[in-house]
Amino acid sequence: MTAAKTGLDRLAVEKPVGSTAVSVRNVNMVFGDYRAVDDASFDLEEGKFLTILGPSGSGKTTLLRMIAGFQAPTSGEIAINGIPVGQVPPNKRSIGMVFQKLALFPHMTAAQNVAFPLKMRRFDARTIPSRVAKYLELVKLGGFANRRIHELSGGQQQRVAIARALVFEPDLLLLDEPLAALDRKLREEMQLEFRRIQRELGVSTINVTHDQREALVVSDEIIVMDKGRIQQNAKPSATYRQPSNSFVAGFIGVTNFLSGLVTDVTDSDVAFVAGTQPLFGRWVSTNVRLKAGQTVKGAVRAEQIRVAATPDRLDDLQTTVAGTVMDVIFEGERVVYEVRLPSLQDATIRVFDHDPSQHAEFEAGARVFVGWNARDVLIFAE
Amino acid sequence: MRAYPLTWRLLDVLEAGVAKVFPRRLAGATPYLMLAPAVLLVGLLVLGLFQIADGSLRTLDTTTFLMSESYSLDNFRRALTEPLFRNVALKSFTGSLIVTAITLMLALPYAYVMVRTKSAALRKILLIALFLPFFIGQVVRAYGWLIILGNQGLVNETLSFLGIGPFRLIYNYPAVLFGLIQYMLPFAVLMLAPALTAIPEETEAAAESLGANWIQTFIHVVLPMARPGFVGAGLVVMTLSLTDFAIPAILGGGSQDFIANAIYDQFFRTSDQGLGATLALLLVAAGSTLVALVFALVGTGTLGMGRAKQ
Repeated sequence: MTAAKTGLDRLAVEKPVGSTAVSVRNVNMVFGDYRAVDDASFDLEEGKFLTILGPSGSGKTTLLRMIAGFQAPTSGEIAINGIPVGQVPPNKRSIGMVFQKLALFPHMTAAQNVAFPLKMRRFDARTIPSRVAKYLELVKLGGFANRRIHELSGGQQQRVAIARALVFEPDLLLLDEPLAALDRKLREEMQLEFRRIQRELGVSTINVTHDQREALVVSDEIIVMDKGRIQQNAKPSATYRQPSNSFVAGFIGVTNFLSGLVTDVTDSDVAFVAGTQPLFGRWVSTNVRLKAGQTVKGAVRAEQIRVAATPDRLDDLQTTVAGTVMDVIFEGERVVYEVRLPSLQDATIRVFDHDPSQHAEFEAGARVFVGWNARDVLIFAE
Repeated sequence: MRAYPLTWRLLDVLEAGVAKVFPRRLAGATPYLMLAPAVLLVGLLVLGLFQIADGSLRTLDTTTFLMSESYSLDNFRRALTEPLFRNVALKSFTGSLIVTAITLMLALPYAYVMVRTKSAALRKILLIALFLPFFIGQVVRAYGWLIILGNQGLVNETLSFLGIGPFRLIYNYPAVLFGLIQYMLPFAVLMLAPALTAIPEETEAAAESLGANWIQTFIHVVLPMARPGFVGAGLVVMTLSLTDFAIPAILGGGSQDFIANAIYDQFFRTSDQGLGATLALLLVAAGSTLVALVFALVGTGTLGMGRAKQ
């Protein structure tokens, strides 16, 4: 995936200015002996919604702050609309940013907050009121123009922050985890709202988050970062279905890792043994060849595994393993079973059961069988 | 018994003892109980104020040097009409206004750098420099300035070396204002710093990303958001310099009296306790009116007291 993307990048540079909104080239950020961002390169196509996803300390926020201009990269180049911005201060970049704590101005009304960038950027004073009204309307805050910030709810404050970041029609919108502090329901509502507004205006957007669900829901492209490095840059479905390495596989979704030794490799089919259990999986990397005897990890997602009382119910699956239910977690729309597998050196795996009423709901201690298809096991070298 | 340490058991005994003396249902009174010593102290001052009020209504008999038995408003008439006192009042009020304005202007960048600097060493140096003057009394500091600014002082010596001067740098109005500003600066910085700390750095970054340069960010974001600090610092500096005694006395050399100096003169030079008391009362009234006026205009909430608005 990464290799293919790099090929596209070279083409993008030759295309006329305007088609690539942001171009990040070999950017490094070093604090003392700590490498916060390690050789990051990517392109954002005009009008697309990109999410940089990663755990805290992965360098995602540092990367965003460098694009915004608050920090200068130790090395590398960032270009916005084809123009290198290395020497351009934040207030001269055409970037709207929504901050983690929103950073609204408490001494101004909602309308004054939204008008602020227009005044600072010397827009024609006669057009300011109508523009402010238009953008407050866009974020559905038409009737709240004269409210002070502390008179607005959390969700309304979010909307003011979005309107303020977009009202001057910036080339680029940056979102620095603005939804992190919201409760789940409001967060999910605002995710869709971000998506709607972004599509309506067609503004190129970079969103930073540690919330994998948010990344999958809102993005055209996802960059997964860990330890300062870009791990994968792909569409959401590809990130989920074809993770480029075990970090991405483990970070997104609930993934079970089964460690074992390779016994046989045929094209992309891999046979390996974990404990005493023979297993099968898929090897997706094309540039490295696996050899028998090599240690690998097989990754299988919790929703790809089925659980049943007897093995004949799992006849259609290539691998079935006997186990004991250790824990049952009721999550409403699904039940999560933690199942210990003696033949896999007592490895504990997690299994989702989305419709327990169809079968039987198992209790802790129950003897069960779990099964999955070989094509759902992705092999990663250790 | 390891699960229940000795210190816990001691605290239990203590708590049981306290509960006997001070039953739990009286717990609501605890804050008032703790307030009592402060109320007592202020109460004593108020008692003194009553005595001063009594004195202000008695006139001095210049033949016997005794206070009159009967009450009259003669002292108030003198204090409000005699040009000497009017000049002193004018000088004090103008002086404290100028001192407040300049002090706030100087304190703001100091407090801002102290709060925002990334260097822990610089913050420490600024803090030490801020507290150091408190260890040297006001009087000692004023004498220090006499030595530096006097006719044979450091500054004039240096200037004469360059072939200019000597200049009269003390015993005039600017010298008093200079001394007051130098004395008030730490107070203002200490009052401003928390207000600046309360402004999230992210908010300044936001202003910048929205197109404001640093001057615009300062004017449109930092200054309005730091308003509680300005009100607090302004009040403290204004009232302290309006009522200051030592600096006008020493750096003014008797020629630049502020109200406090005039009061001192009445009590201890002319021995007219009545007039002194009258001047003192008027000063208290003026100061209180000023504070009340500021509170009425901007509200106590802006000082960060009361229920804070989010």
